[in-house]
Amino acid sequence: MKSSTKLIPLLFSVALVGCSATTTIDEYRPTGEAIELDANERVVVLGRRDAGHYETDREFIGCIGDKMRSADIQVLPEQEFIDAIYPWFEPRTAPKGLPRLKRLMQDASVKTQVDKRNVRYLVWLDGSTETLDSGGSISCAIGPGGGGCFGFAQWDKVSVYEAIVWDLNELTEKGRLRVDSEGTSYLIGAVAPIPFLTPVKSDACSSMGNQLKNFFSVTQ
Amino acid sequence: MLTIKMKTFAAIISLVILSGCSSSASVQLTNEFPQVLAKPKALSAAVVFEPSFATYVAKPNAKTVIDIGAAQVRLLRNAFAGLFSTLEFVASREEITADNAMVIIPSVREVQVSTPSDNYLNVFEVWIKYNLDLETAEGESIDSWFMPAYGKTPDAFMASKSAAIEEAAIIALRDAGAKLMLDFYRIPAVNNWAAEEQKRARQQQNSIQQAQNAEVSP
Repeated sequence: MKSSTKLIPLLFSVALVGCSATTTIDEYRPTGEAIELDANERVVVLGRRDAGHYETDREFIGCIGDKMRSADIQVLPEQEFIDAIYPWFEPRTAPKGLPRLKRLMQDASVKTQVDKRNVRYLVWLDGSTETLDSGGSISCAIGPGGGGCFGFAQWDKVSVYEAIVWDLNELTEKGRLRVDSEGTSYLIGAVAPIPFLTPVKSDACSSMGNQLKNFFSVTQ
Repeated sequence: MLTIKMKTFAAIISLVILSGCSSSASVQLTNEFPQVLAKPKALSAAVVFEPSFATYVAKPNAKTVIDIGAAQVRLLRNAFAGLFSTLEFVASREEITADNAMVIIPSVREVQVSTPSDNYLNVFEVWIKYNLDLETAEGESIDSWFMPAYGKTPDAFMASKSAAIEEAAIIALRDAGAKLMLDFYRIPAVNNWAAEEQKRARQQQNSIQQAQNAEVSP
């Protein structure tokens, strides 16, 4: 009886340790001061989509946008910005560096659209979440008498994202952030499949979103 | 009674699962495209959307059908509006009324699709290979321009193949618009034609002005 009471908390703690992601954030800013943002100025978060083998997914960009909104930062939806300046922020045409951005902003029609939407800062997000290793096996069967799953499976996930903040007025880079998050998820088949999922991408979003919030200071 | 209900329920669940796992995709693009942000040149063009182009249905493989005809017409209408100040859209060459216009006849050479099971990546990809036959109003060939467009979209857990291919096809069409805006006037033959046309228009304007001046002066 005593051993079973010890076993249950032990199993829970093993499960909980297994479900936590390890996240590292690297930050670079030319100055330690927060970026001043007027109450009417807006930020747009854009995903890089020019890499061949992955895409910075819209779900992650939406998550970062929501985190920033929670700090009273006005965030313009990504698609609205891209459509307003079509075709100059498509994967083929989007500026990859500041020299190209400067040339683009010299175009009066582009500048007008940016100013019309009060977009002051642009945050480029680049990265993806990938499954690295997976092991074990789980099999499920169903028959007239019932069904169930038996076995054990595990997989490692890693999220690597980089954010670069550009000032669209001064046409300068205001800082960079990189987040690395990794963790292992498990699926135990004991009649019913019991998942222990590590929220790797969600952790990466929370960490990057919170850090980006600290980049900006909204003045009323 | 309960057994029958359970069997019906199991059959419905199996059908739902099987349809979710279906590897075929039939897609019709119905979306709108944004207006291009560009200042058109003071030139005129007539774009011929032949019925085979306007109703084009791509069958890149036995299990995939993409109806892109109407969407590509909408996209090109927008894109050419950013390149030429005067435009005419017709269904055949015989319907062209504009003088000195560049005649543009787009056609689709090929559409290719790649899924995660083909490329071992977590992306769906669509390539649309266009050909633009560019001619003078008199029917002389200016150039025949090959214009490939590409779109990809990430694979998402439980998302349908049709939705992913639709998204990738829309991105490929938007890419076609971007490619057109970026490279059209960089085609040497088009650049030469545009320079010639602008020169001819200037000369015509000068001669009109000279004629007006001659009429005014005693």
